[in-house]
Amino acid sequence: MLYYRHFFPFKPFFQWLNYDTVPKPSKSFLNREICWTLMDDTFIRFQSYRTLEEFKNDMIRLNPAKFDLGAIYNIRPKDRHMVRPAAFIPVAKEMVFDIDMTDYDEIRTCCKGADVCNKCWEFMTVAMKIIDVAMRDDFGFKHILWVYSGRRGIHCWVADERARKLNNDQRKAIVSYLEVIKGGMQQGRKVKLPNTLHPSLSRSFETIQEHFRNLVFESQEILSEPENWEKILTLIPDEGVQARIRQSWEDSPNRAPSQKWAELLDTIGNEIGQRQALENFPRDIMFQYTYPRLDDKVSTNINHLLKSPFCVHPKTGRVCVPIPIEDCEDFDPSSPPTVPQLVQELNRYDATHATSGDDSNKLQDWQKTSLRKHVEYFERFLKGLSREMRENKLKGR
Amino acid sequence: MFTQHNRKSRQLLASGIKSTYDDDLYPTRLNFYREPPPLEISIEEFEQFALDRMQVLQALLTAQMRNLTPEQLDKAVSEAIRKYMPMSPNSKSSTSHRQLMEERRKDHISHFILRLAYSRSQELRSWFLRAECALFRYRFEKEMLKDQLEFLEKQNLSWKKVSDEDKRLLREKLKTSSFKAGNIDEETYFEVDFERVTGLVGRRQVYIQAGKAFVRLSDQVVLVLDEFKERLSHALEVTGRALPRMDEDDRLMPVLNNINKQYLGREFTSSAIAGEIQASDVDDLKVHMPLCMEHLHDELRREKHTRHGGRMQYGLFLKGIGLSLEQALIFWQMAFEKITPEQFNKNYAYNVRHSYGMEGKRTDYTPYSCKSIIMNNAPGPGDHHGCPFRHFSPPNLRAQLAAHNVDEFDTDDIIHKVQQRHYQIACTRYYEVTRAKMVGISPENIKGGLSDSATGSMIASQEVIEHPNQFFEQSYLLMKSKNAENEGGAAAAGATAGAGEGMDGVTGPVPLDATVRGRYTYKKAGASISSNVQHDIDM
Repeated sequence: MLYYRHFFPFKPFFQWLNYDTVPKPSKSFLNREICWTLMDDTFIRFQSYRTLEEFKNDMIRLNPAKFDLGAIYNIRPKDRHMVRPAAFIPVAKEMVFDIDMTDYDEIRTCCKGADVCNKCWEFMTVAMKIIDVAMRDDFGFKHILWVYSGRRGIHCWVADERARKLNNDQRKAIVSYLEVIKGGMQQGRKVKLPNTLHPSLSRSFETIQEHFRNLVFESQEILSEPENWEKILTLIPDEGVQARIRQSWEDSPNRAPSQKWAELLDTIGNEIGQRQALENFPRDIMFQYTYPRLDDKVSTNINHLLKSPFCVHPKTGRVCVPIPIEDCEDFDPSSPPTVPQLVQELNRYDATHATSGDDSNKLQDWQKTSLRKHVEYFERFLKGLSREMRENKLKGR
Repeated sequence: MFTQHNRKSRQLLASGIKSTYDDDLYPTRLNFYREPPPLEISIEEFEQFALDRMQVLQALLTAQMRNLTPEQLDKAVSEAIRKYMPMSPNSKSSTSHRQLMEERRKDHISHFILRLAYSRSQELRSWFLRAECALFRYRFEKEMLKDQLEFLEKQNLSWKKVSDEDKRLLREKLKTSSFKAGNIDEETYFEVDFERVTGLVGRRQVYIQAGKAFVRLSDQVVLVLDEFKERLSHALEVTGRALPRMDEDDRLMPVLNNINKQYLGREFTSSAIAGEIQASDVDDLKVHMPLCMEHLHDELRREKHTRHGGRMQYGLFLKGIGLSLEQALIFWQMAFEKITPEQFNKNYAYNVRHSYGMEGKRTDYTPYSCKSIIMNNAPGPGDHHGCPFRHFSPPNLRAQLAAHNVDEFDTDDIIHKVQQRHYQIACTRYYEVTRAKMVGISPENIKGGLSDSATGSMIASQEVIEHPNQFFEQSYLLMKSKNAENEGGAAAAGATAGAGEGMDGVTGPVPLDATVRGRYTYKKAGASISSNVQHDIDM
């Protein structure tokens, strides 16, 4: 209850959504859809605000469980009933990605469902690296914000103007370009890539190779337990090879995973002349076990709602803080502060710092807590954005 | 972004030419349809032109869907074009200039008429977009290189050429980006914004760097197609929004409505072939369901839950077979055993009501067709929706077929069709084989189309399955007909072995009458939804 009143960083948040170099509310802010989710799970969609004050007041009044950001429309969402339904159209929104750990449940062994730990978090690290680099190098985007989703995943917000203006077709193309893992529950082998990899996938493969051993052998122990390694063996497209490797692993199950893997590579290597289908199998398995798993729907529709950064996750109480991409390897999912923690920190600060009569040094409450460094990172992200905006203004756009 | 018009033709249009044609108006057969024709026509011509174009589009799409060799396809389509809307190339000296212009004028006008007829709803727009893109591609590829280049030049598409120096630097990358990269040094490459080539990007068939895509000249067709598709898609939405202002005209609207009623195919809003279905009836009706829906049903029973994609696909299907909103709410609530009624009402009831058009913008969503299920919204990890013939791995598909007692010969046949990516034809085969068993006819008797019984000929003349609800209805009617047959009196079956062409090839346009008598209602007619809503436009 206290979080939004004391800790939510309103000013930087407004500066972001306003997408302008001046504090006057722009169309980007006025026409943005905000969707509140209240504590009793009711949604209130299509809310919009004329000023930061108005937004802040509603937030404090409603005391939401969380809130989502929707698209920027052609008119103020609150005014949508004044026109025909067909005349209320989304016009812009950041390109977003949502990576949820439950999509990895079929390959992770340390946790399941809503749980997350440092071991399986490496999947998220790999996902961030691969997608971030693709967005920058391939698509030329620069202003990318990665955010902890509060419990078991990450969100990515690509805020470049060029990204905001993408239509659904283009978003779909980007997702399709990135997507490698295809298939529902009934599809066993989910990765089938051609002999020659596209330059973007070759680059991703390098990242995959950096993490594969640690992730699959060490933390997930895939090759240490029969029931785990069986999932890989069943995918081998040659019964004979499968049986041979299975036998060998069953005979000496305590061998090091790297040894088992080396044996698999060897056995397959010898057979490749005979069976075409085997050729790319080890590489494809590496992709299947480490490449990012995206939720298409979140990214392909311009009006899809996504939880805002700096919300509190209703179930865990943790703040959805940004993850600096340059330090993504060091991120610990249990490190973002919880609301009780913030309250403690605030109280501690106030107790140890006497309030001076000089109000000009008055700090915001969030500045007195561990939230400070997260907001400062966010402000660096904003700085980059405002540089882009000033450059665009000079170019006369 | 959409570049300026050919300045000369603009001047001509502005001068208000009504009945004479200028040489420059249609320099080639190809047309981007940027501007509506500035000419007058009679209302008879209006309808006739539109129907003729429909014949061509329909022939093209049907031919593409059937299992034809490229020669057969070409023959079928060019036959339709010759008959309904001939388009002679510039090189053909036997056609007079005047005739060339007449042909191209008809092409131009008919396109715009159909734009009006097909801009009303998302599904209509999708269909039209697909059809027009297919036609444009077909015609572009038939054109000689000279005419192709001339056409493109006039469009002023402003693509930047890649210098030889840059090409050398990017050589390796260009080579590995596309299956078809031939000799890099000889090809011309263009640098365009990636937004312009979503087709290539989506298929990862192009090298992109810092937002620029490097496209080969021979991939030009793709670029051009994407331009065409993008412009048409945009234009259709604009037209759709402008359409209601046309309502006062009562000459054109009846004609337009008639056009797309004839050819859209059945939408299955609520055919209620089995009468009013209760929630408790669904398990028994499983025997008539296609594999995709049966799978969803089985997984629902097994997991006591279905994810969103599955709920949409299966839920709308159930609506199509006659499950009312009230019964649907009961069905899903009972199916989600582990969830309390309160939780159900909070998390799922809204979505069910939304699919029935009771919430939000109140669109009465139609059940997904096979094309839609196969092409859109592929299942991800944990999902069970989609088309089994498309989305199951072959071993899993075999297991499913075996569980339905399909013998090895037929299973191999089906798998073969799947490998050739003819998913709907595979499904149709599955239908034939399993229904034959159901009515007790040996499948061999079906293969040659030989069978004495009415039911036998019903199965033998089965048209390609295009919609899960079609599968259900025909199976249900089959059983009814068999029961009637058993009780004596073939007349009671009332099923006509219709004019379906089987799967050998296209002999003409697809007939409009149903092969099996059923009640197919169209979107506007289904009025069992909330009355205070305008349905004319849904976006």
